[in-house]
Amino acid sequence: MLALIIKRILLAIPVLLVVASLTFVLVRIVPGGPFDADKNLPPEIIANLNAKYHLDRPVPEQYLLYLGRLAQGDLGVSYKYVNRTVNDILADAFPVSLQLGTISLTLAVLVGVPLGAIAAVCRGRKEDVIAMFLSTLGISVPGFVIGATLIFVFAIKLRVLPVGLWESPWHVVLPAVTLAFSPAAYLARLTRASVLEIVEKDWVRTARSKGLSQWNTVLKHILRNSLIPVVTVLGPLTAIVITGSFVVEYIYAIPGMGRFFITAVMNRDYDLILGTTLVFAVLLIIANTFVDLAYQFLDPRMRIED
Amino acid sequence: MEIVEKAPMPVAAPLDQSVMARIKRIPTAYLALWIIGAICVVALLSFMGCSLCQYSFDQTSSDFLAGPSAEHWMGTDELGRDLFSRIVYGARLSIAIGLTTAAVAFIIGTLYGALSGYLGGKVDTLMMRGVDIAYSLPDLLVMILIGVLLGRGTVGILIALGLVSWMGTARLVRAQFLQLKNEEFIEAARAQGQSGWNIVFKHLLPNALGPIIVALTFTVPSAILSESTLSFIGLGLSPPACSWGTLASDGWRSLRAHPHLIFFPSLFIFITVLSFNFLGDGLRDALDPRTRLGKNSH
Repeated sequence: MLALIIKRILLAIPVLLVVASLTFVLVRIVPGGPFDADKNLPPEIIANLNAKYHLDRPVPEQYLLYLGRLAQGDLGVSYKYVNRTVNDILADAFPVSLQLGTISLTLAVLVGVPLGAIAAVCRGRKEDVIAMFLSTLGISVPGFVIGATLIFVFAIKLRVLPVGLWESPWHVVLPAVTLAFSPAAYLARLTRASVLEIVEKDWVRTARSKGLSQWNTVLKHILRNSLIPVVTVLGPLTAIVITGSFVVEYIYAIPGMGRFFITAVMNRDYDLILGTTLVFAVLLIIANTFVDLAYQFLDPRMRIED
Repeated sequence: MEIVEKAPMPVAAPLDQSVMARIKRIPTAYLALWIIGAICVVALLSFMGCSLCQYSFDQTSSDFLAGPSAEHWMGTDELGRDLFSRIVYGARLSIAIGLTTAAVAFIIGTLYGALSGYLGGKVDTLMMRGVDIAYSLPDLLVMILIGVLLGRGTVGILIALGLVSWMGTARLVRAQFLQLKNEEFIEAARAQGQSGWNIVFKHLLPNALGPIIVALTFTVPSAILSESTLSFIGLGLSPPACSWGTLASDGWRSLRAHPHLIFFPSLFIFITVLSFNFLGDGLRDALDPRTRLGKNSH
């Protein structure tokens, strides 16, 4: 187990280096710099600003400077949020996004997994059709449409829930529900497929034939085994939540990573773009490592192969 | 973002008239097929310059921000432009983006996956390792970063969508080829001394086509969703370009006072994406030899 973790960490370093380098190249070869939008600045000041942040040096030199700082854990400074380092901004934004993401994922699991299990157990019946219809709806509605609808109904018409910013627990409800939609639908489809596969196994028939009730068979024998593939999609689920956070944090004005990423791209705030991208990459690597570990833990057959 | 289950696709499902007959028996998929057909016809006519509506998409009037009425079915925007006409006009861009992305995914993904799967061995490992890493990144993140470089025009969006969308197809085609290439009929073709080219394009590809088409059916809606999401958060197309995404983005700003401006474009995105997803599900069931067996045994 420990060997696997160490192997994963060693593997992650080159991957992060590639992500950092590609993003660096991508944002630097674009015409236009971070100070272009400040129209009233005289050229001398822009030259001074560029000199201060080493933006006047050749790109390869900037790259080496960046990697040097990165190795020390310094993600650089923001060019737009004056006097704030990228580390500061991320330290504020990351917990917000983490809260939102965790709550949404929990919600998605609580809704998606039972929905998929019900659909599979009642395969071909009314319940299945309804559950699958709902899950197809869930993957077909863009996040901004869900967000706009919820805001319109609960904040504008009914005035029961607040919208925007990140202050009280009530502010969490609408964004979390919006963000949970698509992973819940994804999980429902996955759980259904997984349960359908398990139902046909011999030991399920054995459990039934020894007189176990339908309910017990489903809970103790089917669902437990069909959760293995569900745990192992944490990687794609993290990707879905990150993608969703771009939209959700944008429409609810939540000061999280997704929102800072979007504004950083708009402002060409180089170091902030790189910093957020790297944190997303680290998150995905952690999620995928966890999946590998979970596999070994849940499925003994995987351990023998090692 | 891909929300298709990564379940193994059935191998060697023949694509013939019986598929159409089976689609007809799945009501959601059959209805979806008609809706997609209708929307594509509207988009095509709009492309050829036919005026389908009473108003032109950019014709302004003094009737600002009117709600839906007999005159303006879906109301008007802040410049008095008829929303229905703009949605019909926007269909061509949204549908074109979806279909072009699927075409790019088909061409690049099939060639890459076919090469990787047919050659196998070290080349295959090397070719797929890169795809695996890129595939695990969120599509939208990659698209936004590519968009920084390419700008926010239609071509930039198309390239960004094309660059991320082929990887799923490539993985699928590779998996199919790896499975198929040890089948007896491929061995027979080899024994006849057929060229590698012939084996790939005449024997392997036609047999892998079913699952590829299913995957492409899911590529179209995910491209439409990605474009509209990018445009919505202000990193995709921007006016004067007119897609369902930019229309929804415009409508968002007046959600409180004029909800119809975001409601109708969203409705069209939703119906189109939903139809493609239902069609994809239906095609997958229709092409799956296991369900075919199940149906016949009754």
